[in-house]
Amino acid sequence: MKSFPLEIVTPTRKIEESEVTYARCPGLDGEFGIMANHREGIIALAIGEVKATISGKEEYFAISGGFAEITKEKVQLLVETAEPSTEIDSTRAEEALERAKERFSEAEKDEDRAKESQERARNRLKVSSH
Amino acid sequence: MANLKDIRDRIKSVTSIQKVTKAMKMVAAAKMRRAQERMEQARPYSRSLKDVINNLLPEVDRDLLPLLEVREVNRVAYVVVTSDRGFAGAFNTNILKIAQAEIDAIGKDTVDLFCIGKKARDHFKRREYTIIDSHLDFWNDLSFSDAMTIGDGIIGHFTSRIVDEIHVVYDEFVNVATQETISELLLPLVFDGSESGSKDRLYEPSKDVLVKSLVPRHLNVQMWKYLLESYASEQAARMLAMENATSNAEDMIKDLTLEFNKARQAAITTEMLEIVSGAEALSG
Repeated sequence: MKSFPLEIVTPTRKIEESEVTYARCPGLDGEFGIMANHREGIIALAIGEVKATISGKEEYFAISGGFAEITKEKVQLLVETAEPSTEIDSTRAEEALERAKERFSEAEKDEDRAKESQERARNRLKVSSH
Repeated sequence: MANLKDIRDRIKSVTSIQKVTKAMKMVAAAKMRRAQERMEQARPYSRSLKDVINNLLPEVDRDLLPLLEVREVNRVAYVVVTSDRGFAGAFNTNILKIAQAEIDAIGKDTVDLFCIGKKARDHFKRREYTIIDSHLDFWNDLSFSDAMTIGDGIIGHFTSRIVDEIHVVYDEFVNVATQETISELLLPLVFDGSESGSKDRLYEPSKDVLVKSLVPRHLNVQMWKYLLESYASEQAARMLAMENATSNAEDMIKDLTLEFNKARQAAITTEMLEIVSGAEALSG
């Protein structure tokens, strides 16, 4: 199968993979898949999980929102945070979720943000289970 | 002439001060390198984001987002980025001087302040400026989420229409020897809108939604840039200041040692004179 380079770029790190055959990303209105020779475009990403087939092996990343830039040469995911499933400490992720839940019940005025951090924590926990 | 013990004590104290300045210099150098690395890591993200927004902005309505709104300017906010700690040469002084000059030109009463770093807070508090919020004690473990938290408060001040413009005064890290104090307009967003060729591209879900989700991210990364630049500059300034202090201490030790030797010889000469004249008095 034809492969393409995938870059996951955040403000604090850059993950580069050269032999990617398929990437499944969380779009705002549902998930979508990218394969080699995809049409060029810019697609908004939500908080969620990226599944990439790298050299025949499946790998998972937890990302928080951003966008995907697809060009002829490569696919770039520009997101605020990205973590490979292997790097996520599930106990810490669980603690973070607990904290986020607590904050959610306290926070009345900042509901959106509390909701978002809860969503992020839940996502990390989900990805870490792979 | 100072007596021998005094001089010896001074040499000792200058030597131990020199040890401290030397250590501070090395710590600053290590921290600066780290900050530099992080600045480089942040660059690809911020550049791509800027490009995409630049491409999209001419094609969307500015009314779409409160962040893009250009209003008549009645009240402005200033974000002043300084360090928590001193011993960094003229680093903080320069920033505060420029910030204060600009604020005074607009009029102290129409400016709201966001102070980042203890030095800015102390400076403006003492002079009774309107401080809306200040952020201290985060520099040591600076993370992207700090930038997001700080940014949220500042941007909220703009979107709730309390101020119509937001300026940021910070030190930009040019290289180890030069840092430049910069005053920049953060909001409303001004983009040159230079179109790099409207390609046949897919925009999903829509250009409007993309701009809506990207602009706040752009501001976050902008805030992150300010913090990193400022941190690197602070460390570079401290490194230089401590290097100067170390070499000044070196000079002082040299001078004091010379003085010490002179005093010692003078003392020996006096003693010998006393002995000789004593012996003469006895034999006479």
